[in-house]
Amino acid sequence: MMQALEYFLMSWTDPYLLFLTAAGTFAGIYIGAIPGLSVTMAVSILISFTFKWHVNEALTLISGIFLGGVYGGSRSAILLNIPGAPAAIATGLDGYPLAKRGEAGMAIGLTTVTSVIGGFMGIAALAVAAPALSEFALKFAPRDYLMLAIWGILLVGALSGGSLVKGIFAGALGVLISMVGLDPMTAEHRFTFGQVQMTAGISYVAAMIGFFGVAEVLVQLHELKTRAVRQDVSRIVPSWARVRKHLPLSMRASGIGVVVGALPGAGGDIAALMAYDHAKRSVKNPTRPFGQGAEEGLVAPESANNAAVGGAYIPMMTLGIPGDAVTAVIIGALYIHGLKPGPMLMIETPHLFWFIVGSLVLANCFLLIFGLTGIKLFAKIVETPKPILLPLILVLCAVGAYAINNNPVDVYWMLGFGIFGYFLKIYGFQVGPVILGMILGPLMDKSYRQAMISAEGKPAQFAAEFFTSPLSAVILAALLLTIFSQTVWWRRWRGTV
Amino acid sequence: MSAPPRPQEGGEPGPPRRLPGELAFCALLLGLSLFLLWQAYGISGFESLTSAGMFPMLATATMVVTGAVFVVQSLRRGPADSSGRGHWQSFVARVTPPIWFGFTLAVCLYMLALSRLGFVGASFLFLLLSMRLLGSRRWLLNAGVSAASLAAIYVVFQTIFSVVLPQGSWVQAVFR
Repeated sequence: MMQALEYFLMSWTDPYLLFLTAAGTFAGIYIGAIPGLSVTMAVSILISFTFKWHVNEALTLISGIFLGGVYGGSRSAILLNIPGAPAAIATGLDGYPLAKRGEAGMAIGLTTVTSVIGGFMGIAALAVAAPALSEFALKFAPRDYLMLAIWGILLVGALSGGSLVKGIFAGALGVLISMVGLDPMTAEHRFTFGQVQMTAGISYVAAMIGFFGVAEVLVQLHELKTRAVRQDVSRIVPSWARVRKHLPLSMRASGIGVVVGALPGAGGDIAALMAYDHAKRSVKNPTRPFGQGAEEGLVAPESANNAAVGGAYIPMMTLGIPGDAVTAVIIGALYIHGLKPGPMLMIETPHLFWFIVGSLVLANCFLLIFGLTGIKLFAKIVETPKPILLPLILVLCAVGAYAINNNPVDVYWMLGFGIFGYFLKIYGFQVGPVILGMILGPLMDKSYRQAMISAEGKPAQFAAEFFTSPLSAVILAALLLTIFSQTVWWRRWRGTV
Repeated sequence: MSAPPRPQEGGEPGPPRRLPGELAFCALLLGLSLFLLWQAYGISGFESLTSAGMFPMLATATMVVTGAVFVVQSLRRGPADSSGRGHWQSFVARVTPPIWFGFTLAVCLYMLALSRLGFVGASFLFLLLSMRLLGSRRWLLNAGVSAASLAAIYVVFQTIFSVVLPQGSWVQAVFR
């Protein structure tokens, strides 16, 4: 016990480790806030120059970047309606309307505090319930992942308040775009039209920058004469009463974040959407209607996506299975340092487990400090006159898309998706489901084929398995409820028509 | 510029009439979906339920069905309110006004110029000209903001993250 505590406190007591954790968290926030710079990219680059370091130093820096980066994505979502990462898509739904009202400071303050609460919940789950949660996550069959992915796409369509039919179309379009390239199982060409450049597929980051960044800039051209709203940054730290009011929702959303984060392949993006959906259904009297600046619409996704960080470490530490893309890279880092994540890691090197838990807690504390500072500077961004701001955002989008693979083709894709996204937005389509479809498409394709193979290619058996497994039946019921809740019959039953 | 068609973002109710060009856009999407369904069928046909083309066919079939639904929905909503203007003029005025068209053209030229003039040259020119196009008349301020922003982007991407930003074929030819 004392030994575990000693390792837990190691990064707190060693000045160099303390500095590395702080630097990682600070850098993570700003990397996460810049569209095109992903946490996965940052951690991958870090590994290239930390592989000669001591494992503890590398892990503290990576932990800080991971936690800071997941949080940082919310800043650009709130201020510019451009999510820095897919996990911040849900945050923009209510965050951006708040910035348009001049309440960006309050929104960022609340987001910071609830992200920290979510982060602590995730780490607590990692420390206390890692083995049990891992076993539960392993019970998910391919058909469950398929349904979970479909659910995630439907949620973003339904949650953003638009037409479900258009949401389904946009989700299917995203799935289709993700299929471009070589089939990972059979290497057959899909939608490549005989072009070699198309075999590598289309980067979802380029699409995300195009659909959210470029399309938003083009939409904003209609409102050039609108004066920028002055942001109130006089009170950034939310009052205790406000935090206490949202605490129960934050705790529930964190629970969702931990469980979804612990599912291999399902990260903070799905967790945030599910938490947002939960808030929309469970909060009877939000501060404002959802989609128009509800504080609850910030609290739920931000608690969930930071809780998902702790959740993602659970299968990584206990089973050696990555919870998301970043933990997949961290597994690579651990291998480079001669460690083998998985069941034996906890037995052979238990000190490492407690060291990581301690580093994450420390990074979360730094997140609170750095998250509540520098907001005035960030808020100035939205006060910049649009004729100056819009071209600058576009240059940032271009360089962000280029940075993915150092390839101008990604910039052309971004531009194409941006112009297409503009027309989608104008005609009332949601662009969120397209991105979710692109991210979850490969998982859906793989899960569908695995589930069909396990059903021996018999459609009747494939369908029956959704009902014979209790877990599958529960997820199917939730999925159907999401669809049904968007119909006119549901609204009539609830008396809202 | 005439009043913009407020894009239907989260929570806003749809207009009682369709917007100019909406029906054509929905019909285009439906046509694209049908073409992609045909392409998906061409991957491996119906040879197996686990073939490479099966999931793309499911996705495109979903697009065709939903595409058909919103074409019908769009037809039901009645024609766009053109306020006495022709349909094309109404589309140009409300969806692609001249400033939108000019800026989008500038963006396309910027993307093409990136590989020829390099990141710094193309971006500086784009920023300077597009800021003026959008109505910022203070050239010195525009130039200062452009230079400072490009310097910050250059340091973050090229120096810290080792992203090799486009050098520009014309620039390289001059300095070779």
